[in-house]
Amino acid sequence: MTRLNTNQIIALVLAALAVGYLAMAWQIRPFPLPRPIDSDMFPKVLGFTLLGLSLLLFLEKPKAQDIPEELDPEEQAAPLLLKPWSRVIVTTLAIVAYALLLVPVGFVLASVSLVFGLAWYYGYRRHGVNLATSLGVVLTLYLTMTRIMGVYLPTGLLPL
Amino acid sequence: MESLNNLMYGFGIALEPMNIVYVFAGVFAGTIIGMLPGLGPISALALMIPITFAMEPSSGLILMAGVYYGAIFGGSSSSILLNAPGVAGTVATSFDGYPMAKQGLAGKALAIAAYASFVGGTISIVFLMLVAPMLSKVAVSFGPAEYFSLMVLGLTAVVSLSDKSLVKGLIAAVIGVMISIMGIDLQTGTERFTFGTAHLLDGIDFLVVALGIFALAEVFYMLLRGGGGKEQPRNAIGSLKLSRSEVREIAPPIARSSVLGFFTGVLPGAGATIGSFLGYSMEKRLAKDGDTFGKGNIKGVAAPEAANNAACTGSFVPLLTLGVPGSGTTAVLLGALLVMGVSPGPAMLVDRPDVFWGVIASMYIGNIFLLVLNLPLIPYIAKILEMPRPLLLALILIFCMVGVYGMSFSVFDLLLLLGFGLVGLGMRLFGFPAAPLILALILGAIMEESMRRALQISGGDWSIFIDKPISMWLLIIAALSLLLPVVKQGMARIRSARA
Repeated sequence: MTRLNTNQIIALVLAALAVGYLAMAWQIRPFPLPRPIDSDMFPKVLGFTLLGLSLLLFLEKPKAQDIPEELDPEEQAAPLLLKPWSRVIVTTLAIVAYALLLVPVGFVLASVSLVFGLAWYYGYRRHGVNLATSLGVVLTLYLTMTRIMGVYLPTGLLPL
Repeated sequence: MESLNNLMYGFGIALEPMNIVYVFAGVFAGTIIGMLPGLGPISALALMIPITFAMEPSSGLILMAGVYYGAIFGGSSSSILLNAPGVAGTVATSFDGYPMAKQGLAGKALAIAAYASFVGGTISIVFLMLVAPMLSKVAVSFGPAEYFSLMVLGLTAVVSLSDKSLVKGLIAAVIGVMISIMGIDLQTGTERFTFGTAHLLDGIDFLVVALGIFALAEVFYMLLRGGGGKEQPRNAIGSLKLSRSEVREIAPPIARSSVLGFFTGVLPGAGATIGSFLGYSMEKRLAKDGDTFGKGNIKGVAAPEAANNAACTGSFVPLLTLGVPGSGTTAVLLGALLVMGVSPGPAMLVDRPDVFWGVIASMYIGNIFLLVLNLPLIPYIAKILEMPRPLLLALILIFCMVGVYGMSFSVFDLLLLLGFGLVGLGMRLFGFPAAPLILALILGAIMEESMRRALQISGGDWSIFIDKPISMWLLIIAALSLLLPVVKQGMARIRSARA
């Protein structure tokens, strides 16, 4: 069996998405009064269009721009935690942690930790400058949002 | 005469002290954001939306217009200084701008870019002032069928003119429409695709998608491509002055490219990128010294810069008169307007003349600020490029978070933002254009509403879309815009097979 190319793999994922979408579109409850077009019509059209486009994508040969470029071999040789994909995963986890801790810990503390921590993790080693910049930017944002624009941001542990 | 009176009225609004501050702040912030490689006008505008949320609509849009101009100019600066265009619209500028910078003439290239942008912007504002009210009058006669077809054309044009796969562009557009119709259907009150969660009853905020797909995805992409820190070589900026003969040399290309740029910008989907390339290639063909293009010819900087700025202004025409954005950037602007409670369209000229003429007048002022204040400040603003990349990436992340949380106060939206960031990264890696998705996201719900209203009028008869001549022609052009690239590709294949 020949291996599927990137376009074909993406096409299969999209086709599955389209089928799931269509299944959900069929479950949309009809409006009690008859109407020329009900709420389910447009989603059904979209679902079938996506399914058709997935088929076209399956048949389309990938060009150079459709295939991710090779990552820098020097970066690939870095320790596991510093490899390019590890950086994306760690950042993703940091954002999840930030979202979950924002309310209990507070905006200032959570944001300073995120900026300082990630900048350090990405390789910035001037900790004083890092802390001063993180604190300065986050406090400016906090004060602008809460004092000038009247937007509430969670205070959390700090009595700000 | 009437346009002139209206413009004076607009100046009255734009010259209010606070609005002048907003124009300046917008242009300045836009320049800084646009200068950062990877972050273009769309990210800049999306990042600004939370700030404009509580503003008067006219002030908000004035700030946004400033950001838009500034970001385009900022993009030119990084094109010239680093050969790293922040946006596609300034790629053509780097062809001659960067060689000039390598010859120690970066200051001159930046000055030419600023003057060309200024003239391009100003000429096109005059056209905008003349064309927009005329188009508004025509657009008043548009019914739901015409609007639906116009939006279909807007989407297909953006898809067909992107440099990526047509099928992938269409897929991005369909997914954008799918996202836009999530939540409660306002016509029937039926829930659609909410997955049983109350968080999705109002649908997904477009800011979450825009920041995720553009800004956050860009951060992820830079992390993947060794954003940790390889420094780019920097050149000295040098003098910003131009000689008289140089001014004489660049004047005709600037004038020609401004007109060309404006009309390219008006066309849905075309915009700054195509405008700048057209301007560049037109001048290359016309110039006697065409062979020096690409080696630091000053006309090679002037033409695309005038064209891209003029195209930016041109793209305001469909947005302000029809309420239909012709590009991803103006789609974000439309989103911002809707957030502020203003619906652009033919009635806007009558209902909200303060917004309409205020914005046009502020464009003049924005252009003057760009020239008078930004240009001398460029050597200092360029220092932002020296900011360590790790710190910059972490700061962009926090700006995205604050932008989303400050609008919705929802942790769920932060997680959605992350999800869209990862989707945006995937799109970037596998060659899916992001502009059609964002345009479809903005247009999708309005498109469905227009379609349903048209079908309600016709009693469910689909032929209404071809019975109305304007609607029919718009659909024919939409179909042609999709077919032409395919036919062209086929012809090229046949030709290469014969050869």
